[in-house]
Amino acid sequence: MAVVARPIPDRAPELEITQTQADVTRDVADTLGRASTGYLLLLGGAIALFLAGLLTFLILVKDGLGHAGYNPPIFWAVFITTFVFWIGIGHAGTLISAILFLFRSPWRTAVYRSTEAMTVFAVMTAALFPIIHIGRQWIFYWLLPYPNQRWLWPNFKSPLLWDVFAISTYFTVSTVFLVFGLIPDVAAVRDKVTGWRRIVYTLASAGWQGTDNQWRHYTRAYLYLAALATPLVLSVHSVVSWDFAVSIVPAWHGTIFAPYFVAGAIYSGLGMVLTLIIPLRRALGIEQMITKYHFDNLAKLTLLTGSILFYSYGMEYFVAWYSGNTFEQTTFFRRPFGSMWWAGWTMIICNAFVSQLLWFRKIRTNLTALFVISIFINIGMWFERFVIIVSSLSNDYIPWAWSDMNPTWADWGILAGSFGWFGMWFLLFAKSFPIVAIQEIKEMIPMPRKRGGGGHH
Amino acid sequence: MSDDSSQAGMDRRKFLTVLGASGGGALALSGCSTSRVEKLVPYLVQSEDQIPGIATWYASTCTECSAGCGVHVRTREGRAVKLEGNPEHPVNRGKLCSRGQASLQGLYNPGRIKAPMARGADGRLAEITWDDAIARLAGKLTAAGGKVAVLSGAGRGTFSELLADWTGALGGRLVRWEPFDHEPLRAANRQVFGLDQLPAHDFASAKYILSFGADFLETWLSPTENQRGFADAHGFAQGDVARFVHVGPRQDLTGLNADEWLAVSPGTETVVALAIANVVAAAGGAPAALVGALAKYTPAMAAQETGIPAARIERIAHEFAAAKPSLAVAGGIGAQHAGATELCAAVNLLNFVAGNVGHTVRFGADLAAGDGYHALAQLGTAMGGGQVSVLIVHEANPVYALPRAAGFADRLKKVPFKVAISPFLDETAALCDLLLPPHHALERWDDAAPRAGVRSLMQPVMEPVYTTRAAGDILLATARKAGGALARFNAPSWEAHLRGRWQALAAERKEADADAFWHAALQRGGVFDEPPTPAAVTLAPTATQVSYTRPAFEGKGNYVFAAYPHGMLHDGRGANKPWLLEVADPVTKITWNSWVEVGPEAARALNVRNGEILRLTSPHGTLEAPAYIHPGLHPDVVAMPIGYGHTEYGAFAQGRGVNALDLLGAPAGEFVTYVSTRVAVEKTGDYRKLATVEGTPRQLGRGIAEAIPLAAARKGLTLAEAYLQEGHPEHELNTPLEVQALKGWSEKQFEMTRKGDYARTTPQWGMAIDLARCTGCQACVTACYAENNIPTVGEYDILKGREMTWMRIERYWEGGEEPGVPPSARFVPMLCQHCANAPCEPVCPVYAAYHTADGLNGQVYNRCVGTRYCANNCPYKVRYFNWYKYNEIAWPEPLQLQLNPDVTVRARGVMEKCTFCIQRIRGAQNQARLEDRPIRDGEFTTACAQACPSDAIVFGDTGDPESRVVAIKQDPRGYRVLEDLNTRSAITYLAKVLHSVEA
Repeated sequence: MAVVARPIPDRAPELEITQTQADVTRDVADTLGRASTGYLLLLGGAIALFLAGLLTFLILVKDGLGHAGYNPPIFWAVFITTFVFWIGIGHAGTLISAILFLFRSPWRTAVYRSTEAMTVFAVMTAALFPIIHIGRQWIFYWLLPYPNQRWLWPNFKSPLLWDVFAISTYFTVSTVFLVFGLIPDVAAVRDKVTGWRRIVYTLASAGWQGTDNQWRHYTRAYLYLAALATPLVLSVHSVVSWDFAVSIVPAWHGTIFAPYFVAGAIYSGLGMVLTLIIPLRRALGIEQMITKYHFDNLAKLTLLTGSILFYSYGMEYFVAWYSGNTFEQTTFFRRPFGSMWWAGWTMIICNAFVSQLLWFRKIRTNLTALFVISIFINIGMWFERFVIIVSSLSNDYIPWAWSDMNPTWADWGILAGSFGWFGMWFLLFAKSFPIVAIQEIKEMIPMPRKRGGGGHH
Repeated sequence: MSDDSSQAGMDRRKFLTVLGASGGGALALSGCSTSRVEKLVPYLVQSEDQIPGIATWYASTCTECSAGCGVHVRTREGRAVKLEGNPEHPVNRGKLCSRGQASLQGLYNPGRIKAPMARGADGRLAEITWDDAIARLAGKLTAAGGKVAVLSGAGRGTFSELLADWTGALGGRLVRWEPFDHEPLRAANRQVFGLDQLPAHDFASAKYILSFGADFLETWLSPTENQRGFADAHGFAQGDVARFVHVGPRQDLTGLNADEWLAVSPGTETVVALAIANVVAAAGGAPAALVGALAKYTPAMAAQETGIPAARIERIAHEFAAAKPSLAVAGGIGAQHAGATELCAAVNLLNFVAGNVGHTVRFGADLAAGDGYHALAQLGTAMGGGQVSVLIVHEANPVYALPRAAGFADRLKKVPFKVAISPFLDETAALCDLLLPPHHALERWDDAAPRAGVRSLMQPVMEPVYTTRAAGDILLATARKAGGALARFNAPSWEAHLRGRWQALAAERKEADADAFWHAALQRGGVFDEPPTPAAVTLAPTATQVSYTRPAFEGKGNYVFAAYPHGMLHDGRGANKPWLLEVADPVTKITWNSWVEVGPEAARALNVRNGEILRLTSPHGTLEAPAYIHPGLHPDVVAMPIGYGHTEYGAFAQGRGVNALDLLGAPAGEFVTYVSTRVAVEKTGDYRKLATVEGTPRQLGRGIAEAIPLAAARKGLTLAEAYLQEGHPEHELNTPLEVQALKGWSEKQFEMTRKGDYARTTPQWGMAIDLARCTGCQACVTACYAENNIPTVGEYDILKGREMTWMRIERYWEGGEEPGVPPSARFVPMLCQHCANAPCEPVCPVYAAYHTADGLNGQVYNRCVGTRYCANNCPYKVRYFNWYKYNEIAWPEPLQLQLNPDVTVRARGVMEKCTFCIQRIRGAQNQARLEDRPIRDGEFTTACAQACPSDAIVFGDTGDPESRVVAIKQDPRGYRVLEDLNTRSAITYLAKVLHSVEA
């Protein structure tokens, strides 16, 4: 597609920014100043949660995974649920920063930095779970294809190995993308600060001078990185979905899984973006840069992906009915009507039904409503994975082995710890780096300039 | 990793103690005596038959019940690691039940008394030396002046003879007693045949089996032998299947194996038996007096008493009479109510008029039994009356096993000096003043005479675990110390005494060389003569005094309370053995704790569901236990297993569940009536999850435990053919075109997935399991625990479904939901199917699950990182994960000594599963290689197949067209579970044969 060459479209009036370039730099740089009490409390809370999770993990390493609520045949439960949840969260970030960049959707500008950071930290969180989840955590590296004198290689047929590659690739690319995008902004901050911080930002800005030559290379490279990141939005969660689809567990073994998971991932990511940005813009005082226009667009995207999910849920039931496969039918019957009906209904209501509220523009532009909906989405998407994993495993082929699952303190500890870990990194990032992309905001400021330039000097 | 897999508790010193010390015991198979090694000496010159890494086997005898099965004890490096049946032994023919196998956990039980103990002035028990203990006992005996009593378990043999002599010399009284001693059966035999005996029963040749409550597959007389015979009769072989009808209020494991169940209320079995006998007798051939005596018990009368239609009773009577020979048995719940003797007498007559006596009922075998409850009751009276100054209790636990209302504990307390010769601190021993721990059966010389013509030997297979002595040595040492009347017991040791007895035996048998006779017997496990020809039996004059008393039960509750012996724990003696606690009850599938069974009607009336706690109140006490709804229970009955609720008896048993006997009154007659009271049942409103291994007990049409009607099986139809013949339209099955398409697809898929695997060569190991023979007894499960070092995880983890049973018996209910469809059960042993196209293998990221060249699903514990994907992807759900460090907690000292050194003890965090006993495969292959020959079919088998009393499991090389397993796999009844998944499992099941009324 020739998207790259398409000129930047005329801006919607909502995107008009009345600030000057200097104001933008100042406002953004101000977010990096001394931390407020509120911020410190939040950060402290996040670190406390993380430490609780760490303690839980250490107990699991010491005694074994028995403390968690595994009731065979449910061999995967809250940890894998949370793993898929966090992987999914990451997807909206890449979608917004890379795909919308390629599509030249200008409304992404104000939010993409935070979503990109969210992506990196969500993947960092998810990447912990394969380690937490396995029985002998201290030899997790056996999952990696490293050269060794025993000539032992991992099994390339196993979807879990594909997972390892998918996660590590995703983590690498999204990190490079984030760090690369930061360079001009870090340089702008460097010019504002003094003392030891100046040294740190100087190093981080990698000698950025803002010359035309640098900008030319930078914009090209950014474009290519965006192009590189784009397929990952589709591939990573497809691979994760194959963890399930490649198996023979009823309700896992379906061709719908890859698109279904990708849509779900983006949906859950958008939910998390909303949850993060709505309080953040107020906390950082950048309401002028992230406006209702942005939220309206985010909400539309949420509605789209939510509707795809709705369709997928329906299609799963249709296929179960149409296949005549008794195992499949039993599983899908037991989802809303079995012993774990509460999880099934939480998933359906939070994802399929709540997202339909976003047809209304009033709701899309009401930040309180959006925030509440975003919380529902987060809960719903966590439960979607819980339902897919736990309720499918709880009643597969041999009725004699069927069981229910009761999460324990260890499951909640690890779940809380993952939020703490994620929140800790996100908060530290928000105080250390410009959470709004300075140079792209400046591009939006109307001024006579040449195409493709837009430097701040 | 290594920190986890290190084996706790076995340090070098202990290892050497056991290893070095057992050199003497090891000579036993070649017939030499054991000589105690006093010092630790490392091997300088290796003992000839002590080769590290090579097992030594000894023949011995099981002492867990009075059946007296022969065992082979496998020892490694001087310690016993497994018990298997002795194939030459006439009672069990190489098979062994769960309780027999768990005898090993009695040997290594953490609750064993480690040294003699005496109660001090402060009332506490403290260890003393053996010399001191013997001196104290001798002193008390001398002072007692004949006011001595000995209460012993019911075994029969040289020890029992010695004990009788010894007690007699003291002028004391000896009572041999054990619970469930078949007193009514013996009384009925006296009444009808004038014989005070227990006959042997030939189930194998019976063509029609009628059981009045007898749990002959569980505890009745000789369960392993019964089961072997039952499987031969009831299994499908060349179209000949015995029909089995169960009459009684509860379907126990035996009842669940019945083709038809007559659900009658407790105590009314008698009238059914009499009515059937009446019809059979009236058909001719019976003495006129008998016909006259039976005449009033018409099927119509029975129908009135029981609610069973008269036509049904008549049909059964005609079927029973037509099948020759047939067999009727009475026991279990049927023979544990006040009218039990009447029932047994009626069944005796039934066998007599059907011509079974002398054929399937063989008098003359004279099975061992005790003196009956009345002897114990007399002893109790004597104790209460102060006529006993010294009481010696040897391997009996009446304080637990009698109803509390019988007041035995109070009477015991009135005895001034009480001695327990008991390996465990059980409820009786805990009240005693002197504890003399005896050797376990695997540590001592002994013999047993469980029936006429069988004299079975025991020999020490290893050095004693603790400072214990053979009970015989205790008697002899006391005699030496006390002198006087006991002075004539002058054998230098118990072993010498036993040898002397066997020399006398050799002389009796006119053996030329007594030593050779002894050695041969030792090697073989005993002396086994041809079964005695059944004694000629005539009716006694009292035979016609048959009667039926309408049952009456104490109390006013709505339900009759039936306490029955737990299939694993028996009378409670199994409750200290973790295997027996963890391997589920075969009927309810509940582990580790008590439950109370209610029928579906009662459950509806009480509005109760599984796990809700019920309070049972009888005139004698109150108990609370969670409910289990048992489809095979009469509406008027609630039932509860005996065996839980110990107040002593070691950490495994103590405080676990409730003792069902607490609801019973004092036995009024000649025997303990376990079905004698009514109870009021109410909900407490509390709930406790049942520690069950059962998930959903219905097959939901998934074809896991398949069955085929007898008529179709006789015609040699396959399951699909039988299905069509039942009138199902063909389109319910795949059309030929679909079958072809599926075949093409599945071939392709198989081809793709096996790329990169080993080339497959012979042998290819496979298994066949005949569900027509399987009774669901779970001996195979226990054998698997023993062979493969499977940890017992305990109640807490079972509540989370984390049992590690590599092999499990799934019990699916059929019918029983809508009225008119009687409940029945199907049992299916489920273990790793060793699929040729295994779903578990490709998903493992580290190749811990992989396919071996000889067709096994290998599992490399060392390589496993524990992603558990294999378990998710296993459609049979036969993979088990080490959630905790079971390797450190499942075998408290000294239980770890039972571990099989050939099998890895798995660390936490790894997946494990059935290996088809790969250690046995490789052992046999190595042996064949050493002898430079191919493996012979049947040369070895898996632990489960070895143990199976029904011979339902056959293991072998499916690549060898001559092998037995290949022949069985070609049976038209054969099917594979979840075959449509294209897993190509290596296990073929043969469908159960349904012997329904129409057939």
